[in-house]
Amino acid sequence: MNMPDARPAHLPANVPVVETPDLILRGYRETDFEALAAFGASERSRFVGGPMDRWASWRALLAGMGHWVLRGHGMWMVEHRETGAVAGRVGVIYNDSWDEPELGWHIFDGFEGRSLAYQACFAARDHAARHMGLDGVISYIAAENTRSRRLAERLGCVHERDGILLDQPCQVWRHPKLAEIAADTKGHADD
Amino acid sequence: MSLTLNIPRLETERLILRGPEASDFEAYCAFLTDPVRADGFGVEKDRPKAWRWFALNIGHWALHGYGYFTIEDKESGAPCGLTGIWNPEGWPEPEIGWVVFEGFEGRGIAREAATRARQWAYEDLGMTTLTSNIVPGNDRSIALAERLGARFERSYTNVEMGEDMLYRHPGPEALA
Repeated sequence: MNMPDARPAHLPANVPVVETPDLILRGYRETDFEALAAFGASERSRFVGGPMDRWASWRALLAGMGHWVLRGHGMWMVEHRETGAVAGRVGVIYNDSWDEPELGWHIFDGFEGRSLAYQACFAARDHAARHMGLDGVISYIAAENTRSRRLAERLGCVHERDGILLDQPCQVWRHPKLAEIAADTKGHADD
Repeated sequence: MSLTLNIPRLETERLILRGPEASDFEAYCAFLTDPVRADGFGVEKDRPKAWRWFALNIGHWALHGYGYFTIEDKESGAPCGLTGIWNPEGWPEPEIGWVVFEGFEGRGIAREAATRARQWAYEDLGMTTLTSNIVPGNDRSIALAERLGARFERSYTNVEMGEDMLYRHPGPEALA
């Protein structure tokens, strides 16, 4: 890079920051690339178009930034507050050819099984519903991706129909709306 | 919510160089998915892939502060091509590229636009040298590179395009 570095901390500059007890959801940084490339190169990316080479991961990173500019929403980098490590990506994906905006999550190696994915998804979904007009979104999930289906169930999603995404069969799961989540929470409180 | 990038708007006699806008996508898509016209640039296999490229160019602007401008024809307002500075992962160094959409060839648009983009890179970005990567056989681009004063420097293997020729443009002093 031969440019003077006067760039903002996050890319694009004004992606909102969303905080949870353990996580910080924030815009991209160039320094996130190695973690994204490692995820892209691993078998973990098999349900999201991978495994892919560095070049494809680079394109995905840039497209992720451009998505925010074009749509006003997108995927956040999930930063683990305690260690500063990036734990994955979560957020709303609405690429051309998607039926509607989708909540997606990519959890990096070492950050599964600790409820972090649930925390990230819940926070991203809540922010999208409250501030982006995206309430009751879908998630596309491959039928054989049992971990993601379990997480969707925990998030209160229902398997609405089977669909096709980028020529591949997949399941369409529907998230509850804010009002449904509130009613459900109230119901539990009344128990 | 709106997330805008401060992409400059540059003018030439007949053209405006400006940031990509969502309404440009159909023109980009037609070009990028055309296996003949986009052969020397990087063909995208379908519309979803073309949209990803459209988004990643905007991401390139966010990351580097430069990328491909949409070239707009002042007279008609139509997007008529792309030019700009490109430097993705794996590239040997920043390059200046140009593309003219179908129906706008033969009018010197690429030359007029690329000359302005190169001037911007030198004067506003402070770049001191620029290259153009051209695939063998892309004679139109080679001819334009040479008219712009660029000279063949070496062949190499490009991460996206495979066998590629690197042309070196005259630097800011030589053009002054």
